[in-house]
Amino acid sequence: MEILITIFLLFIAALLGVITRRRNVIEGFTVIASCIVIICSFTIAFNVANNGQYQPYPFFYVDSLGAILIMIIGVIGLATTIYSIPYLRKETEKGIIGLTRVRQYYTLLNAFILMMYLAITSSSPIFFWIFLEATTLSTVFLISFYNKLTAVEAAWKYLIINSIALLLGFLGTLLFLSGAGQSESNGIVTWQFLIENATKLDPGIAKIALIFVLIGYGTKVGLAPMHTWLPDAHSKAPAPISALLSGVLLNIAFVAILRFKAITDIVTGSDYSQNILIVFGLLSIFISTFIIFSQKNYKRLLAYSSIENMGIISIGFALGGLGTLAGVLHIIFHSLIKSSLFMSVGTIFLRYSSTKIVNIQGVLKVLPITGITLIFGFLVITGTPPFGIFFSKLLLLSVGIEKIPIITVSIVLAMAIVFVGFMKHMSGMVFDEKPRNVETGNENIWLVIPPVVLLCIAFILVFYCPPYLYTLINSVVLNY
Amino acid sequence: MSYTSIMNESLLQIILGIALLTVVFINISKKNSETIIAYGIQSLAIVFILLNLYLETKEVGILIIVILVLLIKVVASILFFNKLIHRHELRFTIRTYCNVPLTFTIVAFLILLAYSSKFIVLTSLIPANQSLISASLAFLFISLFLIVNSKGALSQIFGVLSLDNSIVALAVFTGLEQSLSVQVGILFDLFVWMTIAVIFVSMIYRHLGSLDVTSMKNLTE
Repeated sequence: MEILITIFLLFIAALLGVITRRRNVIEGFTVIASCIVIICSFTIAFNVANNGQYQPYPFFYVDSLGAILIMIIGVIGLATTIYSIPYLRKETEKGIIGLTRVRQYYTLLNAFILMMYLAITSSSPIFFWIFLEATTLSTVFLISFYNKLTAVEAAWKYLIINSIALLLGFLGTLLFLSGAGQSESNGIVTWQFLIENATKLDPGIAKIALIFVLIGYGTKVGLAPMHTWLPDAHSKAPAPISALLSGVLLNIAFVAILRFKAITDIVTGSDYSQNILIVFGLLSIFISTFIIFSQKNYKRLLAYSSIENMGIISIGFALGGLGTLAGVLHIIFHSLIKSSLFMSVGTIFLRYSSTKIVNIQGVLKVLPITGITLIFGFLVITGTPPFGIFFSKLLLLSVGIEKIPIITVSIVLAMAIVFVGFMKHMSGMVFDEKPRNVETGNENIWLVIPPVVLLCIAFILVFYCPPYLYTLINSVVLNY
Repeated sequence: MSYTSIMNESLLQIILGIALLTVVFINISKKNSETIIAYGIQSLAIVFILLNLYLETKEVGILIIVILVLLIKVVASILFFNKLIHRHELRFTIRTYCNVPLTFTIVAFLILLAYSSKFIVLTSLIPANQSLISASLAFLFISLFLIVNSKGALSQIFGVLSLDNSIVALAVFTGLEQSLSVQVGILFDLFVWMTIAVIFVSMIYRHLGSLDVTSMKNLTE
């Protein structure tokens, strides 16, 4: 029932943007819908923690990893919805957008959240693919939202690269189905059925299929070298959308890779997928590390940081065992922190009207709370103790140093460079003297609360992990 | 009764060969109107392949898919793209990165690759369809090459659509075709994708005054 309520509310919220011109109604309903969605998400997660899975209808299936992702969608969905209201109102005040754009925004935002929700709760890999492709279609107009040449360029790259990749991912998905045969009365092959029948799959086919899946879904995850769309798209989309793209969508696509990896591991053993994931992970870490260091645009900086973190998550899951634990923790913490950071830089953009690092100075004086949020966000995302990402990285390195020592040392070096790179950019942005033409103070409380709350959740989770979340994480470690 | 026994295998080879030739033609074509016709023929070939599948299975679901594919990939796409090129007077496609001789060399290499032993695992999914699977793979590789080789937004769209057709062909010949609901979902996605792509082509034309994607150089590090 919770799933149907969620789908219904998000659908109505998306529809409202089309049928009514009353901004307050659209905004109000979107927030109410998001509040109910978060309650439903946590209810589903409780169910999964208690029963191991949640399958109210044949079409839906939520396992432990899906439950974690559903909670992430709920939390970040609500945060971005609340943040979007003052953000878009400010842009309307500045004359950047009009009511039509605002209506389009809420329609597409709700459609985007709905598609992610449907993808992660879908019991069938093919429907997962359909809804993931639908996220591309719902977000492409959000990326070109400002209708500038650069935004259209970013959106075009996003559309073409992701469409090609997802078609290849689809081919990989079909190849995985080749061994399973026809299943169940409705003819839909489910994730569970695939796992149960994995031994029937030809190892050679499984290997080829995994490559297609990794290229296909890996592009959506932003793994290098297929990452090229990501910095453009994330930097051109409105800040709340960047928060959702980076904080949620990348992880949803990663779930597909993990599920197919689990199937491949049954057929070929874990070495094959482990090696490929490590290669993609390492490439992602190194390419993004050097670009982060020399980056000139703060939104692109955060986008490259997402690529780096996806690389870390890949290596975590590739290593297995404690590495998987590191990967899951990293998914949770990265989602919360990166979304918080994108919202913080969104507020900075509203005040400074520039995305160039060189133009942003004295944030701490101009926007004190946002400045503090940004500093904490930077400390967390770079793995500074005692924050969550520090522990996930530490776990990863402790496993890595045993299994892949040379690679692990190189990862430590890359992490150090990322820290120095972020430090270089952030210190100037936060502490330097503010430009004369930028006003100080007057922070809109609703632009501040969502990123602060996300940071606080990430901080609390370091010291207290609710029992049901603990159960879910344990289950992911056992099954992936 | 085996799949290929209903329609002569050589006839299927010819139909798939036509699809393959159309994607090669799109690679070297200089006129948008010709490209649209070539894509229409290619999609029609896919319709025939699916129709053959229906004749074998007699499943109403597949017949519905045949009709939907005909409506979306053949009728709707031709109408969409024709309207687009007339609205913006986009008579000529933008050049490709490789010239014609080099394009043919690469196409020949890709066909050889598809028929090589590297992909024997895939072709062994249904041994009776080995040559059809190899041809579908060649179709897929050349579609990918079309996307990479093209400098024009419209040609890139046709590359993606051809890639989709090639995957349909591959799925049919490897016996991986899906249930009706799944296929309708995929077709719906494709239809929405096509609509969005057409809107984007207009947006690109409005901003750049052409569809040359090499002019998109504004996003740098």
